[in-house]
Amino acid sequence: MSSLTSAVRDLQRDLENKTNDLSKLQKDIAKNHQVRKKYTVQLGENELVLKELDLLNEDANVYKLIGPVLVKQDLAEANSNVRKRIEYISAELKRLDATVQDLEEKQNSKKDAILKLQQRIQSIQTTKGKA
Amino acid sequence: MEDTRRGTVTSLASLFPVEEAQKAANRVQGAMAEKRAELDHLLGFVADNNNLINLVHKLPEELSHEIMVPFGKAAFFPGRLIHTNEFLVLLGEGYYAERTSKQTAEILRRRGKALDSQVDSLEAMIKDLQAEANFFGQTIAEAAEGLVEIREDYIEEDTHGEESKSGPLKQHTSDLEKTEANNEEYTRMVARLDELEKEEELAAESGNDNEIYEQTTEDDFHKSVSPVDQSNNKSIATESAEKHHNPDIADQLNFASLDLQSNVGEGKNAAAKKVKFVDHTGKPLIHHEEKTVKATTASKSEVQHQPSQPSFDSHKAFTGSIVEHTENLKTLNGQSSSSTSSQVSGSQPSKPVSRFKMQRR
Repeated sequence: MSSLTSAVRDLQRDLENKTNDLSKLQKDIAKNHQVRKKYTVQLGENELVLKELDLLNEDANVYKLIGPVLVKQDLAEANSNVRKRIEYISAELKRLDATVQDLEEKQNSKKDAILKLQQRIQSIQTTKGKA
Repeated sequence: MEDTRRGTVTSLASLFPVEEAQKAANRVQGAMAEKRAELDHLLGFVADNNNLINLVHKLPEELSHEIMVPFGKAAFFPGRLIHTNEFLVLLGEGYYAERTSKQTAEILRRRGKALDSQVDSLEAMIKDLQAEANFFGQTIAEAAEGLVEIREDYIEEDTHGEESKSGPLKQHTSDLEKTEANNEEYTRMVARLDELEKEEELAAESGNDNEIYEQTTEDDFHKSVSPVDQSNNKSIATESAEKHHNPDIADQLNFASLDLQSNVGEGKNAAAKKVKFVDHTGKPLIHHEEKTVKATTASKSEVQHQPSQPSFDSHKAFTGSIVEHTENLKTLNGQSSSSTSSQVSGSQPSKPVSRFKMQRR
């Protein structure tokens, strides 16, 4: 009998740990989503900028706002900068995608483990109850 | 024959517990409110953009404008606005470009178009949420009124074999009219099945479209409706609810002819008639008596007590997965794929092969 209760307690502690892990995972996934959103917005903006830059004449003046300073920039330079930024953001997004996939998988497996634990606990409790 | 029908009465409230439906409805309302707020935000942007375009048009009309220039947080001084045709336009990400007023107006117009498309997509989303909310509202109202779902045995009238079967037709029994079903019916069925299969193929297209919708609504259903068994019912239910609001839907689910559900709403009845299987399996042949469209089938769950039901993929459009009676399932299980089963064979346990094959194509 006592062994059963201690087994149940062990299982329950295990369950707690797993649920903590699960909640951590979920928080990570949520953060990931947020960062992804930010990046997606930035990517969209940069693509708009690129489009506009393409419509400019060669002699048009382009300025970049760096802090409180508006600095004149070369059109070609601005173009290449924006393009590089777009590439960087897309790479980041892909990386984040992979991470989130990974996290989700881990989350699912944790959920399964938790379920199994719960079932075990229940079965033990029912046998205890019967006994 | 009409008066000998038996049926089950299930209160809708038990299928869709009122509180849960309420909760779901509230959730949808919350999501809608969010989207509306975003929409207002975007509309504000659109308005600002338009004002800006007007201003940009007006400025070059004069060589210089007399204005009050803001100075710090709380002061102004009179000044003049010069170079009225030169604009430093923000392109995004801290990039500015020097443009004339006409070019600036172009840039602003393009931005306005992008905003408009965003507004459109938001509006579409709001509409969808609205439809969901309506559905929930309806469900709640109906459940509150104590609307009941009545299922009765479908008793076919065109064969004499039916007469004898109508007696033992019960919903909760897994009575097999094996003895009753005889070869002539069998041959008839087979011919029927072939026809139905063809119709199913036609239905395959329309069936696919609804699948997606099913899946999204399925989640809501899952929350509001209870256990596992129902999951099958729900997908079918939602599908049917979406598709045809046809009372026969639940019935359909049990029958190969259900494939028709995806295509021929009306034809279902006709098909159902032809598919007499119902008798055998004792599944509630949903008939016109069925009062509600919500085909979440309590009866189905009963029916599906039959243990070895052919594997039912609740995420696929229902295509004729027919629950077979246990006696026959043993022989048929091996052969049936996820959606094949044969009610006809229910009557002929000796025949090992599932004659009625309705497969999802």
